[in-house]
Amino acid sequence: MEIVREMHAAAAEALPPAIEVSHLTKAFYDSEGDRVTVAVSDVSFSVARGEFVCIVGPSGCGKTTVLRILADLEEKLGGTVKLHSTTPPAMVFQEASVLPWLTVSENIAFPLSLKGVSRAEQEARVRDLLALTGLTEFAKARPHQLSGGMKQRVSVARALVDDRDILLMDEPFGALDEQTRLVLQQELLRIWETTGKTVVFITHSVDEALTLADRVLVMSPRPGTLVANLMVPFERPRDVVEMRRDKRFWDMTYEVWRLLASPARD
Amino acid sequence: MSVTPTLTEEQWRRLKAPARRERIFRIASYFSPLLLLLLWELSSQFNLIDRRFFPAPSAIAGTAWRMIVSFELFEHIGATLRRVGIGYVMGAVPGIVMGLILGLSRPARRLLGPIFSALYPVPKIAILPLILLIFGVGDASKFVVIAIGVFFLMFYNTMGGVMQTPQIYMDVAKNAGATRLQIFRRIAFPAALPSVFTGLKLAAGSSYIIIAAAEFLGARSGVGFFIWASWQTFAVSRMFVGIVAISAMGYLTILALEALERRFVPWAKH
Repeated sequence: MEIVREMHAAAAEALPPAIEVSHLTKAFYDSEGDRVTVAVSDVSFSVARGEFVCIVGPSGCGKTTVLRILADLEEKLGGTVKLHSTTPPAMVFQEASVLPWLTVSENIAFPLSLKGVSRAEQEARVRDLLALTGLTEFAKARPHQLSGGMKQRVSVARALVDDRDILLMDEPFGALDEQTRLVLQQELLRIWETTGKTVVFITHSVDEALTLADRVLVMSPRPGTLVANLMVPFERPRDVVEMRRDKRFWDMTYEVWRLLASPARD
Repeated sequence: MSVTPTLTEEQWRRLKAPARRERIFRIASYFSPLLLLLLWELSSQFNLIDRRFFPAPSAIAGTAWRMIVSFELFEHIGATLRRVGIGYVMGAVPGIVMGLILGLSRPARRLLGPIFSALYPVPKIAILPLILLIFGVGDASKFVVIAIGVFFLMFYNTMGGVMQTPQIYMDVAKNAGATRLQIFRRIAFPAALPSVFTGLKLAAGSSYIIIAAAEFLGARSGVGFFIWASWQTFAVSRMFVGIVAISAMGYLTILALEALERRFVPWAKH
């Protein structure tokens, strides 16, 4: 019994992390002003399998750029990015990225339909995800009939539908009101706990980062670089409301705010 | 699920008043053109306007009726519809395809865009003699001149629609593993569809303008020919029948396109 457990631990250690980023650099060239803007400068971090990592930083610090490079939507300028995964990462986007010409079900099935998965299989998978994200009664609705929170549920369901290992989330709840955001955060935690995916979650909200993450990476303003790597100590499963009674939550909030405020001197 | 609170009669009436007013106006809107016709009829009957140029609507209707029962009108309408229909499809399909390609591909837009920009302003009627020279006086020349007019409207509207597609839809597709062809069919085309329909309606309108002019010049049938022939024989009420017929054809075509639009673009607000 003991040996088996040790072997498990050894096997887990032997597995490389899901994501390894080292010395990542990205710049944009603006031909009109003949200017180069360094968006991301020498960023290195890694994310373990099944870990939930939040990258927090002010707008324009390049955190979205990091995520888009991980998703292969943007080309890096320097450094290396290694994803140890059999599937490409799935992305949940910032704004309403739900396709307006498709119904809720069709939106969720979209990645499967591109791959030519059979209709029966698509339907079964979509049914599961509608239930998981609380959208069952909106299956036939069109996006313009949905609230912002509902649309982001659809985005999350779509990102989960083809069961990829890594989930990249780019401020998915940024445009929502606080109440809806809390509800969706709680649901995301529940989904993550049942699926065991590796998650990189971008946010500008310190509060959100501490609520969700195992680990918070703090980015400084442009040129974006990592200034801190903080373990979040709260036990799982978490209750997004109850954890606000924990003094450590506010101590950490203070700490992250200080980190965010300090490099802004320039 | 919604709970209806108890409202007084008066409150119900006030809540429903705007909808009722709207209904009354909608009904009235059907009759306002009839009012104009009535005014015309009376002015013509009482010689307030020159009857030689503006025969009374009742006289025009009489002429129309004779042309309907003799089937003469339908022959002309049929000829015109066939030319417009074939020319329209010949122009719309390549227009949409080119619009999608140039909308999606910046290099294609850079290379080919200026060619279309240079050709677009050429008045279609101005090149009709050239087209008659190349394609003869038969139907082929009508198809071609309409196709050219339709092509540009479809091309520019589709390209505009694709270029206005939010980048995020493209990113969603790429992240979902779409191939270039899938992005073309599953993202660019539906995203451009509202603009495509705008183009289809504009193109329908201009098709009838072009066909009327084309039939004036080189045709032995069609509503345009019929209007021209009536002018030459000073058959003014027949001329009006032709004008009404071609206007109605345009109007009905656009109504049909709007019905299709509601069917195929249910996400756009109408």
